[in-house]
Amino acid sequence: MNKADPILTFEAVHKRYGSVMALDGVNLSIRRGEVVCLIGPSGSGKSTLLRCANALDVLDSGRIVFEGNEVRSSEATVRHVRRRMGMVFQNFELFPHLTVLRNVTIGPTTVLGMRRAAAEGRAMALLSKVGLSEKAAVYPSALSGGQQQRVAIARALAMEPALMLFDEPTSALDPETIGEVLSVMKVLADEGMTMLVVTHEMDFARRVADHVAVFDKGRVIEEGSPKEVFENAMVPRTRDFLSHLGWHGETTIPTAASTREVS
Amino acid sequence: MDVNLQPIIDSWPFLAKALGTTLYVSVASMVLGFMIGVAVGVLRTYGGRVLYVLLGFYVDTMRAIPLLVVLVWTFFAFPLLIGRSIDAVTAGIAGLGIHLGAYVAETIRAGLTSVRRNQMQAALALGMSRFQAIRTIILPQALVRMLPALGSLLVIAIKDSAIASVIAVPELLRQTQIVAGKTFRPFELYTAAMLVYFLLCYPVARAVDRLYRRVAHLGSS
Repeated sequence: MNKADPILTFEAVHKRYGSVMALDGVNLSIRRGEVVCLIGPSGSGKSTLLRCANALDVLDSGRIVFEGNEVRSSEATVRHVRRRMGMVFQNFELFPHLTVLRNVTIGPTTVLGMRRAAAEGRAMALLSKVGLSEKAAVYPSALSGGQQQRVAIARALAMEPALMLFDEPTSALDPETIGEVLSVMKVLADEGMTMLVVTHEMDFARRVADHVAVFDKGRVIEEGSPKEVFENAMVPRTRDFLSHLGWHGETTIPTAASTREVS
Repeated sequence: MDVNLQPIIDSWPFLAKALGTTLYVSVASMVLGFMIGVAVGVLRTYGGRVLYVLLGFYVDTMRAIPLLVVLVWTFFAFPLLIGRSIDAVTAGIAGLGIHLGAYVAETIRAGLTSVRRNQMQAALALGMSRFQAIRTIILPQALVRMLPALGSLLVIAIKDSAIASVIAVPELLRQTQIVAGKTFRPFELYTAAMLVYFLLCYPVARAVDRLYRRVAHLGSS
């Protein structure tokens, strides 16, 4: 398959919660190897879009196509899609009754039917990748938020997904632990993982994203490269949103020195 | 009032066997009650509208009928329905277990409902089926969270086995009555029986409490 082919496309996706139009005709596509960041005010539908991508939420109309399959076309497709998409939640959602190691192996053993020993080998490699191999035997309650989120990333990676969904992965973290999670995500991005990231971390979006989409009121109001969006926003609402974050557009392109902070 | 412990010493093997029956009936009815309770609790929580209503009928029925009546009916009326008699121990275990199951079911249902919705979503996002998610993620957490309530039910199961004395299950209270009647020493025998029930149940309650304090974090998502 061509690297430039979209791995995931949203076509005219609509989703309504009662009287609230959460998604109001979203069109978006993510190519293989690309990091796409969704930014925008809270309640603008970014998380809903992510949750529709792996069918945790059901859309009202429109189509979501992942690796050529329409998500939601059948129960089997939904489970296939979920196996191929990793998801990281705002509140980590580690399984509290399982050790860190078992949190990472339970996907492969339960869903892929992998042998426990093989799954543990894979899990230990992933835990050292996120810097937590020495925590394999402890329970999640003994970890800080940042550590829990890194385990959650390892848990998703254990399924060897083709695409990773991140739903505000640092919003529930203490400021001092945000960096360690963003660093892990940066490593993944550098390794070529395809990522769709809902985030309020504008620095991360600016430095790591290949493509940024700005959400407002259930629609993508602007998209483009980070440079285009952050420095030359065409849509007034985007400029308004960015200015409320204390971002005024005059900052220059990141230097090598500032990039090192997250890597 | 003089106290004479001789009747207890004389009939010790008889009473020890009765205690064994009490333990057997308690454990067996507990196992039966838990199997019914987990199944009914899970099906009422996740099984959809029809199962919710149908199994709700079972739960409400059992909670509305005194255990004594359930036991008497199981032993004296049910055999007429099926056309053959059943022995007292079997009837006792069945009656106690089916009655207990309703309470376990409601406890399990409360536990399942209390686990954060996002835990189910995290399990589904890994590609698990709903059944796999319930079995490996939600139910274990619900059991941990409901441990104190389930512990109370365990103690109640032991205590309620005494009610099975009315259908002549040869458990501790029933056999104590027999010895008390033969020896005319009700004070010593019933006091002893009371003490034994206490010594049986109190450590169980304490142990469940201690266990819960050690494992509570495993259920806190």
